[in-house]
Amino acid sequence: MNRKYFLASVLGFIALCLVPVFTHNPYYIHLVETIMIYAILLFGLDIVVGYTGQVSLGHAGLFGIGAYTAGVLFLKVGAPFWFILPASIAVTAMFGAILALPALRVSGPYLAMVTLAFGTIIQILINEMTFLTEGPMGLKIPKPTVAGYKFNEESFYWVVCVMLALSLLVVHRVLRSQLGRAFEALRGSPVASDCMGVSVYRYKVYAFVISAGFAGLAGCLYAYSEQYISPNTYNNELTVMFLLAIIMGGRKTRLGAMLGATIIVLLPKLLDDLEAFRMVASGLAVLILVGAALGLAARRTTLQTMFVPVVGTAALATFSFWLDNITDWRLSIFGLMILFVVYYLQDGIVGFARMLLGRGNHADSDVSLQEENPAQDALMQTAQNDREDILVAKQVLMQFGGLKAINMVDLKIKRGTIHGLIGPNGSGKSTMMNVLTGIYVPTAGAIEFDGRSVVGRTSSDIALSGIARTFQNVQLFGEMTALQNVQVGLHHTFKSNFVDVALHTSRYNREAHAATERALGLLRFVGLAELANEEARNLPYGKQRLLEIARALALDPQLLLLDEPAAGLTAPDIKELVQIIRKIRDHGITVILIEHHMDVVMSICDTVSVLDFGQKIAEGEPAHVQADEKVIEAYLGGTAA
Amino acid sequence: MLSIKNLEAGYGKVHVLHGITIDAPKGKVVTLIGSNGAGKTTTMRAISGMIRPTSSEISLNGQRIDGMESYHIAKLGLAHSPEGRRVFATMTVTDNLTLGAFPRLTGSRPKGDVAGDLEKAMDLFPRLKERRNQLAGTLSGGEQQMLAMARAVMLNPEVVLLDEPSMGLAPILVEEVFKIISRLKQQGVTMLLVEQFAAAALNVADYGYVLENGRISVHGDAERLKTDPAVKAAYLGGGH
Repeated sequence: MNRKYFLASVLGFIALCLVPVFTHNPYYIHLVETIMIYAILLFGLDIVVGYTGQVSLGHAGLFGIGAYTAGVLFLKVGAPFWFILPASIAVTAMFGAILALPALRVSGPYLAMVTLAFGTIIQILINEMTFLTEGPMGLKIPKPTVAGYKFNEESFYWVVCVMLALSLLVVHRVLRSQLGRAFEALRGSPVASDCMGVSVYRYKVYAFVISAGFAGLAGCLYAYSEQYISPNTYNNELTVMFLLAIIMGGRKTRLGAMLGATIIVLLPKLLDDLEAFRMVASGLAVLILVGAALGLAARRTTLQTMFVPVVGTAALATFSFWLDNITDWRLSIFGLMILFVVYYLQDGIVGFARMLLGRGNHADSDVSLQEENPAQDALMQTAQNDREDILVAKQVLMQFGGLKAINMVDLKIKRGTIHGLIGPNGSGKSTMMNVLTGIYVPTAGAIEFDGRSVVGRTSSDIALSGIARTFQNVQLFGEMTALQNVQVGLHHTFKSNFVDVALHTSRYNREAHAATERALGLLRFVGLAELANEEARNLPYGKQRLLEIARALALDPQLLLLDEPAAGLTAPDIKELVQIIRKIRDHGITVILIEHHMDVVMSICDTVSVLDFGQKIAEGEPAHVQADEKVIEAYLGGTAA
Repeated sequence: MLSIKNLEAGYGKVHVLHGITIDAPKGKVVTLIGSNGAGKTTTMRAISGMIRPTSSEISLNGQRIDGMESYHIAKLGLAHSPEGRRVFATMTVTDNLTLGAFPRLTGSRPKGDVAGDLEKAMDLFPRLKERRNQLAGTLSGGEQQMLAMARAVMLNPEVVLLDEPSMGLAPILVEEVFKIISRLKQQGVTMLLVEQFAAAALNVADYGYVLENGRISVHGDAERLKTDPAVKAAYLGGGH
């Protein structure tokens, strides 16, 4: 953690702990406690919504499961607090896995509906299972007792404080680790994740399980905090509030989650009282005005973009002083304020503040760019064995409806060679790549890689067995830095589990350090070392293609599939690329190259196969293929190459 | 026709363009040459309003267009055929082309004969004619590229920006794309062309600019640039 942030977090924590010292009013203490509990839940929800990019409207249900696990275990079993707390987390995490199942099949609005249904079912179940939950009557739970000491309002507040700090630490560590990168990769490009050996299936479930664990912890604390739980609390309104808190605070930021929690707890209360509302509205207007002035002065924003926020908040402040009775307007104002934030501050409050202060959304830009041992070769020499043909495809047929995209193609790739695959656009080259990497399952035919069949295996499994690839339409993880993109490729080097990550065990530290080193080395190999901390989406097209190669090499592949790596590159860049491909081959990695630049294909390929309308029309040494009448007619044309 | 003065632009913290001045006179083809990351695509995007330049003076037909929204710039007659075949995949070829004429249909630009131009565009790209009712997403890469170009022409534009029209195309199709560019030139369309095949681009262009690290290093008549030893060594090598 960056030292500045660490200091701010510690100071914030101390300030929070001191609240009961300054005010003994139980109302305020309870309010802050609720905010902290919501914040814990939002940390978890942000993993699903902000990082993996899924929608969940089922988190109020999970919150309820956490609370009722605590309530039922206490009342029916009489379990002690130290048992109830982890049990609530575990039980809710299990339900999180169930909630993840629909997310594997559907996304977007469909997932929203399914998770909403999940939340509703949980609420109904709690209502109906009266033998456990007392139904609508609810459960009464006293503050916990540990080792003879019974917590009161104030001392329990400190328990929540500690839990918040621990949650923050764990969430922070998880999101900075290979797990967090895997979650973000899912959002960036599911296909590329699978082809980097990061199983989309598995990590979606992980994300939901971890997220649910935090919801369970929050639910358990909530039960003890309220001392009374009833099914009505965990309704769809609460779930929408949680989602709103993430959107308003800003996704992918812990500060945003805490801010969001504060807003959804405090705002309705502040709107109860006219004086308080006037203060908030004027404060907000001043804040936005100052922010806009700062942003304009530094030329980070324009008058046009700032116009609506400034005028909107000013109008709200004026309106607050014109009002003389707030009760009739309360809900309308609340709705308007939410609408305003969601509409105009799409990156949330934290994102907006970052924009005005001129800080990009660089979560990890504090990584040191110094390699300790730059002389070391980042690319591993691949293991050799006696099998001469690394890949053998026999009579492969890939049929889409009536169209035979690949029609009975045989392909033999010799180990340690560069094998070119050329042909007109739409002849089936990219389809072949997708068949080899498990994205498509061939309609018929056999494919053996290093003596083992790949047909029917998942993309991530095939990737881990040693086939890496790049994509014709670049598939990088856009919001992640160049370094993080390569680190996703190095996911397979991590043996650490969730516990290692949360505790920063020596195993995790060792692996994380090694991965950073190698990622930097691989970036240097393709000439991108200086751009390590740049977000992938900001790189120019040609560099994005090189980054894809570096990411693919991180898999330590035996076979590398390059799909049009030179597309869009100019002559000098192409020379550089040819050097890189040669160096890759010299490390013992076999390369299959799809390319339209004939000079590239002719100068580096050992063998070339030509596809047309899904069929192989020629194969052999480059010069031989180049002179083939059929190839000239279908592909090369008169004057080219 | 299109004049760009002191264009500065970038993404986030990265500054890509440091003051670029380009002039594209009416009916001429101007090409932008440069290595990857030099800022060619960024220049195109800044001109058509897809990104907001930090500082610039861009005018189309004497009217300032910098800072305007893309759709507004399109209405004024600037068509952009973007890098990487951005066609409307779930719409038919005909619908894609008709959408290219959208500002003409809504009255923001002189309407003229949209149906007639549709046929003309199909004649220019015979492959599209054969596939007029096919969904754009099912076209091969080369056909999608042609569709993106044809769609830009459907605006009946004053200026067309062509970003890497031959990228990812089989050699036989690359020839065809350049033939079409020459044909558009004969019809008097002003073009700004970014191309990986610098030599072929200079053959079709009247004027060329060389971009290096976000600055124009050399510019001049295409004929002269072709023989410029520095340009030859850096961009025309590799036997294209």
